[in-house]
Amino acid sequence: MDGAMILEWVIKSIFLILVMTGGFAYVTLYERKVLARIQVRIGPNRAGPFGVLQPVADGIKLIFKEELVPAKADKLIFTLAPVLTVIPALIITAVVPWGTEVTLFGRTIKLYLADINIAVLYLMAVTSISIYGIALAGWSSNNKYATLGGLRATAQMISYELALGFAMIVPVMMAGSMSLVDIVESQKPVWFVFVQPLAFLIYFIAALAEINRSPFDMPEAEQELTAGYHTEYSGMKFALFFMAEYIKMIAISMIGSSLFLGGYRGPFVDQLPALGPLYLFIKVAIVLFVIIWIRATLPRIRYDRLMQFGWKVLFPLALLNVFVTGVVLILVGG
Amino acid sequence: MSVEKPVVSLADLCSRYEGLLVPDERQGFEGYLISPDHLISFCRSLRDDVGYDYLSSVTGVDNFPAEQMEVVYHFYRTTGGPSFNLKLQVSRHNPVVPSLVPLYPGADFQEREAWDLLGIRFEGHPDLRRIMMWEGFEGFPLRKDWREPFFEDEAKPFKSRWPDGQVIRSEDQNPYKNNVRYPNDFDPEQWTPVGDDALYKGMLNLSQNIQSEFKTDQIVVNLGPQHPSTHGVFRMVVVLEGETVLSLKPVMGYLHRNHEKIGERNTFLQNMPFTDRLDYISSMSNNFGYALAVEKLMGIRPPERAEYIRVMMAELTRFLNHIFSIGFLLNDLGAFFTPALYAIEERELILDVFEAVSGSRMMCNYFRFGGVARDLPDGVLEKIKELVNDRLPRKLEEFERYLTKNDLVRIRCEGVGVLSPEEAIALSAAGPILRASGVPYDVRRADPYSIYDRFDFDVAYGLHGDIYDRYLVRVEEMRQSLRILKQVVRDIPEGPIMSGKPQYQARVPPGEAYGRVEGPKGELGFYVVSNGKPNPWRYHVRAPSFINLTSLATMAKNQKIADVVAILGSIDIVLGEVDR
Amino acid sequence: MLNDWSYVAIFTVISMFLPAAAIAIASFLAPKKPNPIKNSIYECGVETVGATWVQFKVQYYIYTLVFLLFDVEIIFLYPWAVAYNQLPLFAVVEVIIFILILLGGLLYAWRKGALEWV
Repeated sequence: MDGAMILEWVIKSIFLILVMTGGFAYVTLYERKVLARIQVRIGPNRAGPFGVLQPVADGIKLIFKEELVPAKADKLIFTLAPVLTVIPALIITAVVPWGTEVTLFGRTIKLYLADINIAVLYLMAVTSISIYGIALAGWSSNNKYATLGGLRATAQMISYELALGFAMIVPVMMAGSMSLVDIVESQKPVWFVFVQPLAFLIYFIAALAEINRSPFDMPEAEQELTAGYHTEYSGMKFALFFMAEYIKMIAISMIGSSLFLGGYRGPFVDQLPALGPLYLFIKVAIVLFVIIWIRATLPRIRYDRLMQFGWKVLFPLALLNVFVTGVVLILVGG
Repeated sequence: MSVEKPVVSLADLCSRYEGLLVPDERQGFEGYLISPDHLISFCRSLRDDVGYDYLSSVTGVDNFPAEQMEVVYHFYRTTGGPSFNLKLQVSRHNPVVPSLVPLYPGADFQEREAWDLLGIRFEGHPDLRRIMMWEGFEGFPLRKDWREPFFEDEAKPFKSRWPDGQVIRSEDQNPYKNNVRYPNDFDPEQWTPVGDDALYKGMLNLSQNIQSEFKTDQIVVNLGPQHPSTHGVFRMVVVLEGETVLSLKPVMGYLHRNHEKIGERNTFLQNMPFTDRLDYISSMSNNFGYALAVEKLMGIRPPERAEYIRVMMAELTRFLNHIFSIGFLLNDLGAFFTPALYAIEERELILDVFEAVSGSRMMCNYFRFGGVARDLPDGVLEKIKELVNDRLPRKLEEFERYLTKNDLVRIRCEGVGVLSPEEAIALSAAGPILRASGVPYDVRRADPYSIYDRFDFDVAYGLHGDIYDRYLVRVEEMRQSLRILKQVVRDIPEGPIMSGKPQYQARVPPGEAYGRVEGPKGELGFYVVSNGKPNPWRYHVRAPSFINLTSLATMAKNQKIADVVAILGSIDIVLGEVDR
Repeated sequence: MLNDWSYVAIFTVISMFLPAAAIAIASFLAPKKPNPIKNSIYECGVETVGATWVQFKVQYYIYTLVFLLFDVEIIFLYPWAVAYNQLPLFAVVEVIIFILILLGGLLYAWRKGALEWV
């Protein structure tokens, strides 16, 4: 029994990792295609029909690229940093449910990896860890742009993490549970985004800052810091940073969908649980589209303004939102 | 702007310096000669009492084989009017001239260039280093007796390379090293690059007096030459404390090809396509300036239709350049290429027009002395009419709608990189930079050339001198360009497009001329000296991108590092013109 | 029966293999021809001057300190948020006072200029 269970979880883990890496590959293509259409271009269309083999070609190229390690770098940390960046990006998805249960090969399989009772806290914890990889990458390169980028990234991520934390408290309060499965299930009557649009907005903005996406892509601001914390990285190590960034994008979209957009819920999902992952996929694709759209549209906020915005606008707003939600819940719930 | 009435007239000042100030009476030359001893005091009076506050151009002329070197200054009033030319004649052996940087800080780079290329030493210059060539370069390449490694002949047209059926390559005639000069005690085998010690000297620890409770180390960061946002191989050495810029020094010359030396080897007409390569975004304007300078020497004027075509092309170029520069300014602010690509879409339409009239999209080579190369082909005028009456105004409005009131753009641009009007004039800033600082100085109005006095347009200017005002000035200039263009396409007459018959060899009488136009990037001047031969004796370009960079250090001081990139973008440089 | 934390542990272990395998495969397949120029530090094509690992501006660290304080306080709020519906009114009012104290702390840091980027 236990052996079969473990096998099931191992298979599920591997499946999830493959989905995330495959998702990463195709989000890059998705982004390039969407950006191209917004910018009156065509985008990649040479490798395979509609460029669908482009990520494969990119991957092969990156595998065969020479990896350079600066002579003056701290070599151990330099190699470890990309690994430390990818792992949190992957494991944060462990608690996100894609559906309820389906029956496959005569077994009832739960469509989530783990339903831990403090899932939201787990999310907070893993996000905090993911700073390490980036800060260490910037520091160990012994490169001025990378160091500046790493420092910026650290300061930026911790600043927005507070707002993120407060934004995530709100669904927890509404659902009365920290389990993401429970939170999704409690959105059965109405999605939290309609009840708490402000919290969703704060979550979305803070999440963009957390994953260093435009307009908060300061740490890798190409216009002044060449490539920020991964300036010195090449080949597969660079690909890992890239992968972490895109997996984080997917993860953030999945978590956001689960917390505010009803997760895997949709019409007929109770009758046909296999629809769950499909609904989640559609929601994630829409959120990703918005993220890419923002990248194509907005210029970058300057660093000091970004910190000011995080501390002086977003954080107090999130705090007040929790406060107001508490008061309103008392009044409504009596 | 301080519009103080000149205390004395120019004639008064000249009479005060009677005997010390000699009119230049050579055939075809103008201006005055003065001795180096009186330069500073004369220029101070010139600036403070007569109001010639704008030093447009500083350059030198090597009068080899005569033992004499000339330094030529062109002064203007920012209230308008013609130039005042001042010349110094010094010995060629050890040319020493007092530096004008204390009076006109805008002379900084130009004096360094004259030192670098002609070997004229400017006494009192704060930082007289080479600017185009590298430290350790031997010789002064613009001197007439300096020869490039594969020297072929003094002037074009070169002799036949296959006189008797056998091809001769200049490399064979002049094996490498024959003309290469090394510094004394130079051993190529032992050579290691001289670092940038001279450059970094004085940059570190320059702000020890900053009061802070915590000890923080400053770091020196090089932005460029291989950098995504320096618009080419341009380098800025920046001293940072945290993310604040304490000081900045621009380094250039990576794209230097000694444009002026090549220009002096070329015949007059051969230089026309060569000017395209200066500011390759707006080649038509470059043609215009050079054509004006040589036409001044030749004493001819193009026929009516040609004048209209010229103005049309120059204004289309201005539109193209400004929309392109705004697009890329947004890129520098961190917008991911979308504005730039939208701008390029409009630019392509104008390039279609250029291709139709000249056969080339970027290297147009369209102007000739006394006219233009070809008449407008059938249908092009209709296309231009459609562009200026419909498409371009519509798209410009669209651009404005997206950008002008955009909060992020305003937050990033307002109050950043401020240049006060006094600084802008003193630093010889030109074009949109000068006007955004509140100095409504436009060569088209201040010293009208071609037929600009016929058209109805306003000079755009800003009030704050920040990046945002530069953006607004560019937008307004595009609108004014469209206004001029509408009048041009309405009024353009039929007629010839060349005065006289087309000729392969321009016959240029001896003399000097300074032709200047209001290029999209600022005042573009060509100083041409002819000695009656088919080649220009001196061919100097007053490159607006280059001289506008003089003010970069002032604008960037105490700004954030992210703003430095935006400030550079707002200056709108093209490295082909900066480095020449 | 394994509890859900074990699944997370399994997942973490397996997900460590992905980057490790990627780096290992690349190190087999990628060419290795280092030379001093390639291994020098990138600073836009010129040699870097001065040390990179210097004493950095303190502002970055002040943010960290403020962050630590508030982050710990957020953790306090989570249990309260979960049990929100079952709590007596007294506890709710208590936490609301707690949030107000947090706001006060933020305002203090604000007034003191700790949030200014200088």
